[in-house]
Amino acid sequence: MRFRTDLKNVKTFSKLVAALNSLEKLAWVRLDDDTARFTVIPDTGSQVWASLSADLIFDNYNIQSAEPNNTINLELPLGPLLRALRSASGSTYANLRLTKKEGLPMLSMTIHTMTKDDPDKARGAGAGPGAAAGAGYGYGADPDNDPGNPFNDPDMFPQEPLELTLRREREKIITQDIPVRVLHPDTVETIMQPRVREPDVHIQFPPLLQLKAISDRFTKLAATAASSSAFSGGGLFASTNTGSGGGLGGGGSASRHPKLLLSANMHGSLRLRLATDALDITSVWTGLENPDLDASNLPMPPEEHPSARFRAAGPDKWATVRLDGRDWSRVLSVGRLEGRVIGCFADDHALILYVYVPHTDDMTAEDVVTYYITSYSA
Amino acid sequence: MVVLNFTLSEEGVAVLHDALACMFKFSDDVCLEARKDKLTLSTLNLSKSAYICFSFAVNRFFARYNFEGTPQHRDRFFCQLYIRSLLTIFRARPTSGDQRDRDTSIERCDVAIDDGVGRKSRLVARVSFRNGITASHSLPYEVKTPVHAKFNGDEARNHWAISSRTLRQLMDHFSPGIELLDINTDDENRIVNFTCFTEKVQKRGVVNNEAVLKKPLHTNIAVEMDEFDDVEVENKLHIIISVKDFRAILQHAQMTSGALTANYSHPGRPLKLSYSADGVLCEFILMTVGEKTALVQKHKNPQKNAAKAPAPQLDSTSHRASSVASENRSNPTPSTSRPPQNAIQTRPRQPAFEIRPSPMPPPTTARSSGLFVDQTEEDEQWEPVNPDEEEEEDDESGRLGWNNTNEPNPSSIRIGSYLSRQAEAQPEPPEHLVSGIDPTQRLEEVRRFGLFSD
Repeated sequence: MRFRTDLKNVKTFSKLVAALNSLEKLAWVRLDDDTARFTVIPDTGSQVWASLSADLIFDNYNIQSAEPNNTINLELPLGPLLRALRSASGSTYANLRLTKKEGLPMLSMTIHTMTKDDPDKARGAGAGPGAAAGAGYGYGADPDNDPGNPFNDPDMFPQEPLELTLRREREKIITQDIPVRVLHPDTVETIMQPRVREPDVHIQFPPLLQLKAISDRFTKLAATAASSSAFSGGGLFASTNTGSGGGLGGGGSASRHPKLLLSANMHGSLRLRLATDALDITSVWTGLENPDLDASNLPMPPEEHPSARFRAAGPDKWATVRLDGRDWSRVLSVGRLEGRVIGCFADDHALILYVYVPHTDDMTAEDVVTYYITSYSA
Repeated sequence: MVVLNFTLSEEGVAVLHDALACMFKFSDDVCLEARKDKLTLSTLNLSKSAYICFSFAVNRFFARYNFEGTPQHRDRFFCQLYIRSLLTIFRARPTSGDQRDRDTSIERCDVAIDDGVGRKSRLVARVSFRNGITASHSLPYEVKTPVHAKFNGDEARNHWAISSRTLRQLMDHFSPGIELLDINTDDENRIVNFTCFTEKVQKRGVVNNEAVLKKPLHTNIAVEMDEFDDVEVENKLHIIISVKDFRAILQHAQMTSGALTANYSHPGRPLKLSYSADGVLCEFILMTVGEKTALVQKHKNPQKNAAKAPAPQLDSTSHRASSVASENRSNPTPSTSRPPQNAIQTRPRQPAFEIRPSPMPPPTTARSSGLFVDQTEEDEQWEPVNPDEEEEEDDESGRLGWNNTNEPNPSSIRIGSYLSRQAEAQPEPPEHLVSGIDPTQRLEEVRRFGLFSD
């Protein structure tokens, strides 16, 4: 079993790992001849299946094993991997290889990096600010101070601190060893990608940062509303209306996991709603795109697809899922990948998010990260 | 009478604050020692494994400095103060912003120490702000002989120097959970290795257990010897120090642009880190993990050695008793000989220096968390929401809340004042009620007194 590769697009890799790490600490990584698949299945919450073509993040990729397609299955902690990738970001060169240290399997990352001397961080101990101000006056008094003079452009000739040592900055070699477990193919055979029925609505999402900011705000409001209504229910209204007291009790238990209602229609609208006993707020995005389906991939003619019925039923026909606010926030953390996001709604059942990761070097190629989010029952 | 007074510029206040903030990561209090030619701040951590000393050259650092001395303290004056209260006084205000920020910045700070027979011992700091406000602080202090760690420079033949900022940036690559740093050299490859590890090494035979995956990231950084100035180290010598201490030092060292020098001899003997900037000399003496096996097994993997190595704090106490914490008794001025009001104990605390090893753990590492690889700014917004988080920024959270206490400023009220108020609030049992109406009496029993009309 051999795995050795140079790393490229470390930033993208690191963002993906950060997004996965917000859902679960351990990931199952399946490497083969041409893909690297990262799977995260938390005990509760949404699953992620991220399938990346090996040449998105790897270079000089070399993999060998006894399995078909040279498959290697690993279980690895995402936290240490993320930390190693952060230390590789900005490096001149980084590679990753599977190795053994003291009898334990390790994913060893070797990073060649330079330290950057950031003079702004230093306290110039008196001389610094004064000297800079003096230089500024010098320019002002210069009689040849015309805009055409390139020497007046600080960007063209940035002032550099006087280097007193002639010692040149050298490359440092950093080794980060990530503990891993090599999984036998039999143990991962049973883990299957979830199957979801044909979606009722598919829609391109608005920028996830917007959606996340509003979702997070709703989640916090839900917690506040639930706690304050439980408080008033216990104090003032419990004796007068026992019926509503029971209802409020239910709201109290939901407060720890506030549910958000996310709906979409086939007419370009996405709606996020929070409804509690005390408040009902809704945010609506309109003018979004409902992308066309690829007829060749459908199990039925496009006009019989559930989405056709939803489109025909008009803009008031919504497909809705109930989401846990915290889990949803963790899911939306994938927005840092800055990819296009398509949501597929199976009404009252599930939401599948396809996050497309663009390749920086090949604009036509895209990899996809798939989130499976189950709707909570009402 | 005024024993000592000096004036600090705005820059001087900031430098002093940085030094105090650095020491606060090791200890709660600081010893101030003033002489004619220099002012020294020093402290020793609770476990006595780290000694920190900042020396300020009088002619270069201070705008004005005047040491008078007293009949008792002719050539030097010393006292012990709380770092926390000093940090509040010398807190740096933002100066780089708009005009309003500039107005609230510190213009200068005058510090005077008033002491003498029949006088209250006080350190008075008068901070003048650019907007015309002057804040005066008066701090009590304790007169206490400072303890200085001894370091034998002749014995410490291994030494190197490197840019403190380079070293600080290298520390970013270590993960937060690690405890120990092994610095070792390899003459053949002309490199110096910085290896981190924790003592919690997994036992063998649990390979298939998930615990394997909980091991922290193991990091090694190889730096070419050419990057060091003046490197002279015994080949393959492993010297092990606490990462937390090292990080705290580098956090401060990076603010000076100069080189940081390390001097050391062998495992179990102290290591000195030093650097200087504009009239301030910063010296740190750290105990290294003393390990008899280290010398024998030094060619083996450092992690194996470390597994057998005891914690540096525990092992090094014997050395410390003799070498590090040798009390400077050259000028014994026991506080008992002083008027009692001079020896002000601001609050009961642990005896700072004792010969026996202290069972207290070293101060928390949490403060140095700022040293780890920082996330890029835009990462923050992608972190999952946590609605239960209480200490969220008020303007950002959608949480509504009211202050349900009727205290004017709850945080400033100490337990003691609550206790005293409680005592006041409890009314004396009124004498006349003993024969009258018992407050727990039922209403119908009271009616017979004719107090209520039916």
